[in-house]
Amino acid sequence: MPTLVRKSLREYRRALVGWTIGLCAFLAMYISFYGGMRDNTETLSAQAIAKYPGAFRDLLGGLSDLASGRGYLQAVVYQLLGPLLFTMCAAILGNRAVAVPEESKTLELTLTLPIGRRRLLLERWAALALGLLGVALVTLLFAAGAASAAHMDVPFGDILAAHTGLFLLVLFFGTLTLCVGAALGRKQVALAVVGVWGVAGYIVETMGRNLDAIAWLRWISPVHYYLDGRPLYQGWPYGDYLVLLGATAVLLLTALPAFERRDVGV
Amino acid sequence: MTAVVETEGLTKFYGTRRGLEDLTLEIRPGEVFGYLGPNGAGKTTTIRLLLDVIRPTSGRATVLGADTRDPRVRARIGYLPGELALEGRERARDYLQFLADVRGGVSRGKIDALAERLDADLSARMGELSKGNKQKVGLIQAFMHEPELLILDEPTSGLDPLVQQEFLAMVREVRTSGRTILMSSHVLAEVEHVADRVGIVRAGRLVAVEDIAALRERAVRHVELHFDAPVPAESFQGLPGVRDVVVQGASLRCTIDGRPDALIKAAARYTVVHMVSAEPDLEEIFLTYYSEEEARHAHAGA
Ligand SMILES: Nc1ncnc2c1ncn2[C@@H]1O[C@H](COP(=O)(O)OP(=O)(O)OP(=O)(O)O)[C@@H](O)[C@H]1O
Ligand SMILES: [Mg+2]
Repeated sequence: MPTLVRKSLREYRRALVGWTIGLCAFLAMYISFYGGMRDNTETLSAQAIAKYPGAFRDLLGGLSDLASGRGYLQAVVYQLLGPLLFTMCAAILGNRAVAVPEESKTLELTLTLPIGRRRLLLERWAALALGLLGVALVTLLFAAGAASAAHMDVPFGDILAAHTGLFLLVLFFGTLTLCVGAALGRKQVALAVVGVWGVAGYIVETMGRNLDAIAWLRWISPVHYYLDGRPLYQGWPYGDYLVLLGATAVLLLTALPAFERRDVGV
Repeated sequence: MTAVVETEGLTKFYGTRRGLEDLTLEIRPGEVFGYLGPNGAGKTTTIRLLLDVIRPTSGRATVLGADTRDPRVRARIGYLPGELALEGRERARDYLQFLADVRGGVSRGKIDALAERLDADLSARMGELSKGNKQKVGLIQAFMHEPELLILDEPTSGLDPLVQQEFLAMVREVRTSGRTILMSSHVLAEVEHVADRVGIVRAGRLVAVEDIAALRERAVRHVELHFDAPVPAESFQGLPGVRDVVVQGASLRCTIDGRPDALIKAAARYTVVHMVSAEPDLEEIFLTYYSEEEARHAHAGA
């Protein structure tokens, strides 16, 4: 492994371990609620859910069959909270690739090593991708284990498909943070871009899909390519996932020359 | 032999703020070059341009014969940033090892030898090091791979006097081995004992490049003469190169620029019992460059 990738992973290690534990705790807690709620049909029945306002149900992905293992897992883990938490993790790590060390002035010495700027950025990104992949793998196994322990009856293949989408989504947002940081050197700006694009993208994808005026905006929402294929129900949405991967690559290819060209630390 | 550092019309504007303008400079192999100037003069700007951290608005620069954009050349440079930041839980030794690995390795024991010389504790976490100890880690990483060129931005800042002496010894050793050093400072006193030449930069412009030896010759000297009897002030008025003459009874104080000949000849008419001549004060001549009026005056007089 290249020295800088190894070194970056070492820097991320504590954060990666922390986020993995946090995400697993979140999974354990919410998935374990399923057992209790399933038996209590009142709370999860279609009639009970129908009492919530339509817009609210849309925001949470419809909540159509909360009583089934798939419906519960989708609504509670893969719809909103899972991507939200994991994206926060990705954005925080993505910022630590360039923007944070640049603002704290520690990047200057790294930059004067005999490593070209493009390679530096690529190796930092590789460390970010590997770190997120590690978190995704551990949480995937944990989610599958917890789901089976709670008798959710969701096949591993479907959880794998959904979790892969989750990984690709957070890889996109992590790369976005890294790239804005690499292009502008400002961590707050990078977080703001991710926050606005992520939240607006989510709202457009969930509540906006029925509003003609903004429905077209779904095409530029990364969340669309994560949610629209309903992998937990329908298996792998290859096309959508390829879009997420392609967008990640485009971001990186844009950030490379931008980072190459600019003054660092000014 | 070709220059180690060569710049031509090197200019850097930060937006509309001038950082450095039209710097043309050559640093020769094997010399220690002191780069002097007050706060905000453009020293750090110059150095960051040489290391390709920032990009020139215009002009060009080569380092060790290569364009500054070439990353490979940086393996042959040792760099100490002026605003050195070391953070985090990583231990200083691990960080140094990382830098060494990326630069292609350092000879065994070199890091420890330098740490011992500078009395640095490498087992500490970097975020917990004091300012001076961070500076030591910065110096170790700049020297450890025995680079052909050392670029040190305010290397002595934060160091206690003993460590400063050790640092100067390290600089002399580098020069003895034929390698080159560019170091910046605010004060001439810090570099005058090791530098061969100094460049003086002020408000983004290089105002002078001087040989230290030549500077010494041109330096002003304060002289005090004591006679066996009171002397008339008039005998010492209007002597060439002698100014600020104060006669008080049997003693005389004055300042001389350059040769003391006229003063000696005038004093020879009386009986001199005691004479004090202070070390040439390079700082003073250096400071004159800081004030534009005096710089222009010096040109007109030359
Ligand atoms: N990032 C920046 N943005 C805008 N102006 C800058 C920036 N960095 C430096 N400058 C300006 O460029 C000029 C030169 O600054 P530089 O840091 O090179 O000075 P210096 O000689 O290193 O000073 P010091 O002795 O204080 O370190 C100053 O006027 C400074 O205000
Ligand atoms: Mg400076």
